[in-house]
Amino acid sequence: MKFELSDDQALLRNSTRDFLTSEFPLEKSRNVMEHSKEGYDPGEWRRLAEMGYLGLVLPARVGGQGLGAVELAVVLEEMGRLCLPGPFLDVVLAASVLTAGGKHDALVGEIVAGKKIATLACHDAPYAGTAARPLAVTSGRVQGTKYFVPFAASADALVVAGSDGLALAHGPFAVTALSTIDLAQRFGDVALEHPVTPIGPLALLDRVDRLAAVGASAMLLGIMARSLEMTLEYVQTRQAFKRPIGAFQALQHRLADMLLKTESTRSAVYRAAWCLDTDDTDAALACATAKAYAGDAARLVCGETIQMHGGIGFTWELDVQLYFKRAKTLEQHYGSTEVQLERALAAAGY
Amino acid sequence: MDLQLSPQHLEFRDQLRAWLSTNMSRPWREEIRDPAATEDGLMNFRRAWQKKLYEAGYLGMDWPKEWGGRGAGEVEKAIFEEEMARADAPPILNTLGIGLLGPALIHHGSEEQRRRFIPPMLAGDEIWCQGFSEPGAGSDLAALRTSARIDGDHFVLNGQKIWTTFGPWADWIFVLARTDSKDRYGGISFILTKLDTPGVTVRPLRQITGESEFGEVFFEDARVPRVNLVGQIGEGWRIAMTVLAYERGAMSLAASVRFGRDLAALAAACAEYGRTSAAVREKLARLLVENEVMRANGIRTLANFADGKSPGPESSIEKIYWSEFDKRFRDTALDILGPGGQLLRTSPDARDDVDWAREFLWSRAGTIYSGSSEIQRNIISKRVLNLPQDAR
Repeated sequence: MKFELSDDQALLRNSTRDFLTSEFPLEKSRNVMEHSKEGYDPGEWRRLAEMGYLGLVLPARVGGQGLGAVELAVVLEEMGRLCLPGPFLDVVLAASVLTAGGKHDALVGEIVAGKKIATLACHDAPYAGTAARPLAVTSGRVQGTKYFVPFAASADALVVAGSDGLALAHGPFAVTALSTIDLAQRFGDVALEHPVTPIGPLALLDRVDRLAAVGASAMLLGIMARSLEMTLEYVQTRQAFKRPIGAFQALQHRLADMLLKTESTRSAVYRAAWCLDTDDTDAALACATAKAYAGDAARLVCGETIQMHGGIGFTWELDVQLYFKRAKTLEQHYGSTEVQLERALAAAGY
Repeated sequence: MDLQLSPQHLEFRDQLRAWLSTNMSRPWREEIRDPAATEDGLMNFRRAWQKKLYEAGYLGMDWPKEWGGRGAGEVEKAIFEEEMARADAPPILNTLGIGLLGPALIHHGSEEQRRRFIPPMLAGDEIWCQGFSEPGAGSDLAALRTSARIDGDHFVLNGQKIWTTFGPWADWIFVLARTDSKDRYGGISFILTKLDTPGVTVRPLRQITGESEFGEVFFEDARVPRVNLVGQIGEGWRIAMTVLAYERGAMSLAASVRFGRDLAALAAACAEYGRTSAAVREKLARLLVENEVMRANGIRTLANFADGKSPGPESSIEKIYWSEFDKRFRDTALDILGPGGQLLRTSPDARDDVDWAREFLWSRAGTIYSGSSEIQRNIISKRVLNLPQDAR
């Protein structure tokens, strides 16, 4: 029994941290986030492919490395630390669905190689609770609108959730680009009137939903860990009343709670990933737990980060805002807290 | 990363499970609900149950065999706690002796003290209580004033201890007493005292629950042999700190098992009473998620033990987590159950699954004893986050 990463996993973490901090430092990403249309650098995307990250959890037959959710969590935690913009998790999830369907290996191969982008089109309305029916797929065609499709403007293909299964649509797509608070993520509404090919039943999403929950939670973990680091640096430097503000117990106890939330998220995320990899009977509950907890925890940690930075924490200039916004997106997507709470109850049989 | 118990630990667990199912007559919740049960009777029941566990070799799990322990490790200890929780086994009686004094004697006691005190401690023949807190020294423990004046071969003790758990049932007390009034930390010594010593008086205190599980202990010129000093004169503070680190050891896993059982009972009550509104479902779901995170914390600690890592000051995180969660859990349970949740267990209409009212009251203790949540946050900020000495 061992909670720490194995030697291989630790190597993956260290090499990923080195690679990402040299290729995707935040000052560079910030420029991409603020000024690019795509929301990421398509040229750099190839670098992720070359390093094998896009096929990390995919089988060898599509050019992947066949690693597990633990390794994916390791990589996404590092991406979270750097607030890395781009469709990495979205593409991994779409490729996982396509691979599970087994009918589109050639396309998955191109995705793994960084030549094509595919994401999941699952939302049938822009606001939660809006009455909406899933799109019907009839005689090989889909017609209607999908909302909040991640990186729709960059997608070559979309995995469309329809009333009677999952289907693949190829671009070009008519995309209405959306603007949201999170600079690291782009969304678009897509008006579909496309021929589609079947991928498989909606049940294929079950495992991918769990992978999404673990993946998003791992990114939230990285976001929290880095936010706490930035706050600790700040409170030891910033002086008020002739001492560093970190000497005030009013802040110390809240910083202790931030650590509690961050480390408890770490326990939950890696346990969920391990359960997923070993098909543990607790997997469904553990994944829902990780995501529901991480969303709340990150909101607290990133919120306290702004508060403890004071006025400068409210500025566009300082990086802490990027983490705060990214956390909110991750909390509401990849299975919102509300969805995960329902899943947890169902998994426990309550 | 590997969160599966090793074959050898699985075997230990299965043997323990089998032993518990053969040797436990009924779950603890049924024991305390017996109309014939009295506070005294239950204490004696716990004493007898402890002896049974001791004779089967399940106590002093990680203590060396030469002093009566099992010579196993922290992993077995955590598995033991988890299985006791799973079976709803009665708690042992000598929790403070085994939990606190045992480690103190193993690390700081003399060979004679270990041989004299450890076997009857494990067997439940001598019950111990802890003489740390005083009316003027709680979180600021080093402010304690109980004095131990040296007089020949004896210490002469004067002062008062309070919130002394098991005081009314104990035979012995381990006392932190001042041997030097000027040296705040270095003037404290760790002294073992028999409670029937002339000049020692124990008075029960009635708790918020109505029980008298704790009390206060008065010392008036009580003469204690000098051989009952643990370690050296002035080493008491250091010994106390070692001991408290043990007290904060891995309890999350066992706690999550107990909460999990009570949560299942709460969910069953919701189904029974038609409490299916979205507001109630969300409360239930949040308790479930928080408990599962605690389980994950516990598994992490267990895996770290198995990996040869001992917990450092971050065990304060676990202490805060379970004790603060306990309060939220019990509060929420009463919200969900409605007025019936406040019924005493002896009352008509009280549910027989969990003593909800008593647990609600009892949950207020965990964030105070064994280092309050505030003290735990101080520990985290100083020793984990390395923040400067605080200004208030």
